[in-house]
Amino acid sequence: MHEITSEAVPSVDFKGIRCINNYSEICQDYSPYLCDESKLAHQGAQYLFFPTNEDELSAIFKEMRKKNVTVTLSGARTGLVGGAVPYGGAVVSLERFDEIRGLRYDNQSKEWRVRAQCGVTIRDLNNWAMKKDFPGLFESGSAETKAFLKKYKESDTTYFYPPDPTEMGAALGGTVSTNASGARTYKYGATRNWVRWIRVMVASGEVLEIPRGTYFATPAGEFTIINSAGNKTIVKIPKYAMPHTKNAAGIFSAPNMDLIDLFIGSEGIFGAITEIEVALQKWNNPISIVQFLPSDDTAIDFVIALRKEKSIRPEFIEFYSSHALDLLREKQKEDPKVVGMPSIPDYATSAVFFDLPFDPENKDNDYAKLEKIVSRCGSKLGMSWAGYEQRDLERFRNFRHVLPETVNTIIAERKKKIPELYKLGTDLAVPDHALEEIWGFYTSILERAELEWVAFGHIGNNHIHINIIPRSLKEMKEGLLIYREFAKKAVDLGGTISAEHGIGKIKKEFFSIMFSNKELKEMKAVKNALDPDYMLNPGNVLEIEGT
Amino acid sequence: MKILICVKQVPEITDVTINPETGTLMREGVDSILNPFCEYAVEMGLDLKRRYSDIQTVAISMGPPQARTALMRCLEMGIDRAILLADMKFAGADTWATAFTLAETIRAMENDFDLIFVGKQAIDGDTAQVGPELSEILNIPQIMYAVGVDLIDTNKKVWVKREIEAGYEIVEIKLPGLISLSKGPMIRSVSSFQEILDARKKELRVVRASELPIDENELGLKGSLTQVIKIFPPQVKKTGIRIDGSEPQGAAKKLIEFLKERKFV
Repeated sequence: MHEITSEAVPSVDFKGIRCINNYSEICQDYSPYLCDESKLAHQGAQYLFFPTNEDELSAIFKEMRKKNVTVTLSGARTGLVGGAVPYGGAVVSLERFDEIRGLRYDNQSKEWRVRAQCGVTIRDLNNWAMKKDFPGLFESGSAETKAFLKKYKESDTTYFYPPDPTEMGAALGGTVSTNASGARTYKYGATRNWVRWIRVMVASGEVLEIPRGTYFATPAGEFTIINSAGNKTIVKIPKYAMPHTKNAAGIFSAPNMDLIDLFIGSEGIFGAITEIEVALQKWNNPISIVQFLPSDDTAIDFVIALRKEKSIRPEFIEFYSSHALDLLREKQKEDPKVVGMPSIPDYATSAVFFDLPFDPENKDNDYAKLEKIVSRCGSKLGMSWAGYEQRDLERFRNFRHVLPETVNTIIAERKKKIPELYKLGTDLAVPDHALEEIWGFYTSILERAELEWVAFGHIGNNHIHINIIPRSLKEMKEGLLIYREFAKKAVDLGGTISAEHGIGKIKKEFFSIMFSNKELKEMKAVKNALDPDYMLNPGNVLEIEGT
Repeated sequence: MKILICVKQVPEITDVTINPETGTLMREGVDSILNPFCEYAVEMGLDLKRRYSDIQTVAISMGPPQARTALMRCLEMGIDRAILLADMKFAGADTWATAFTLAETIRAMENDFDLIFVGKQAIDGDTAQVGPELSEILNIPQIMYAVGVDLIDTNKKVWVKREIEAGYEIVEIKLPGLISLSKGPMIRSVSSFQEILDARKKELRVVRASELPIDENELGLKGSLTQVIKIFPPQVKKTGIRIDGSEPQGAAKKLIEFLKERKFV
């Protein structure tokens, strides 16, 4: 089926919706709503709305459309590419869409599924799923939901939501809109793999309800959307092929694709995803290990060997380069509590962080193969940190998270003197076979340039974040050129310019490296069909000049 | 030299709530951990072990079978071996019965000890009684609230820095003796993966009541001099108003409005 009908929602009085409509007041008193973790400079906003339900959201869309005012959607604003940063117009905060709406067991796929509004954070979703306590669900749920909830609580198995975008304060809607991935993508894939159903409000203020596996593109690559008045819109999907790596660049496209995938990862330019049903996965007790290694090159060797050994199944494989460990050492001197770990050993020149299944009660845990790999790479299992208690898993997680946070803090500090400055964080990924080559390419160029930089991230997916931390505008210009060179190389190797952060407003300049003009036009054609006035999230993914 | 470290498994306190109807701790889904003050005691024992030769460390705990995970943590940290006193007959013990059982176990099995370390208190009961009681029963000197310990006089004495209200006090005691620890490293230590694997090969002996030379009437609830009748949370006071200070100007504006409304300004 390729035809879908959008539904109108009940109309409400626009004037009753909570709104700040004073440009200066928004800039002064509500400035957090004007920026995200990218620290991109905003251009203010004329309106700031706080809708509480779809009816109000629809009224806002209709009114803004009438007034020809653009709308920037705002979730938890944890994005790194300025997606929630407004260039004028209205900001619509979806933070009040924070309810859990349902829980059920799907017999066909044999999986538990949770339905939540877009403003629920990944942290809350996981806490509730793992502690089996969804606030308000028993009181508000149907008899069927209550029965499922009872069954879920009685189960001996613990479940969790696998997508792990490091920043667990991210809103579920934001992560679906950006097809967020992260460390656990290595084993579980990106957000897209876990989304089973969505509700999307399109620019007209009507809602599409899209279950996975129901609406597929025709052989000619088309969907038809019929609105409540019976008018048809043809959406023609782009024809390009997606890279064979994890990817968050460009509108999703595949032959006979599912309509739900058009909206997942589209960065809110086609509509606001208001409600989502996701699948849960069985939780296996892991042990977190930070294995210290004698050099960055041996860390790369270690990762390649670990991936080849099929009897070892890490949940994720993360990297801390030599410079990254040095930066953390500095942070430890400044405030050891923030890092939350003992002093990084002097012998540690590089590190790889991974989780393995671990049974603390088993005396005969056999890790001989791991020991062999570690030893071949010049280290020992004794030269590591490991922990499996819940509080330790959390602090290892924090140890991973504190690194990009530290970089962001340095940039925020430098921005006070040079407001135009921002972090140059690469988000490039390449196929498995190209890991050594891309790392060699990165380091040979970075070593020549006298810039401050660290490397860390999802090395299991060949997705190393290079963060260049410029000290001046001159360094930023130099860094941008280097970034561009890296992006070209990644694409040449069959990779992507953005594996997880998305494109937003910051990374459009790299778009042309990965997509031709014809392909960009194909993307714009989808935008023209779904949001002809270019009202939603202007400046994200596509240039505003398309209006 | 032999150092004994008496430890306790406690619920991860940040997660614990009290059922207002029954007055009991709601432990469902709450993780159990090695009591943080006991962890300081383990750290101190290991610190001495690293600095001086020929020190043997033994961790002892009394608790349900699952308390072995707290002892496993001790073994992972570097303790040589562990003893778990686990028997239904120990259940319901108050601080006296606990100290008495530990003391008799030490007399029967580890009587050649030189030093006993304990945490100053457990974060679940907060009584801080077991350590002092243990030293009284064993008739050895005790120093409470230690923050630093060193061996002097060729291991015949210990130097202790302890907390007092006005600051710190330095004292010395002859061995054998008991010291309670109130502070440790700011950041908890982390074991290596090798240490975690090795810990599972170390001795963790489970001792039953029948193995101890103690009359049953002196164990557990029967041997307890006190009994907890009820645990209840303090009455919740009316909470104040919190103004988000992330935007100072906006916060100040709200504060002034609030004060004006109530005619304070």
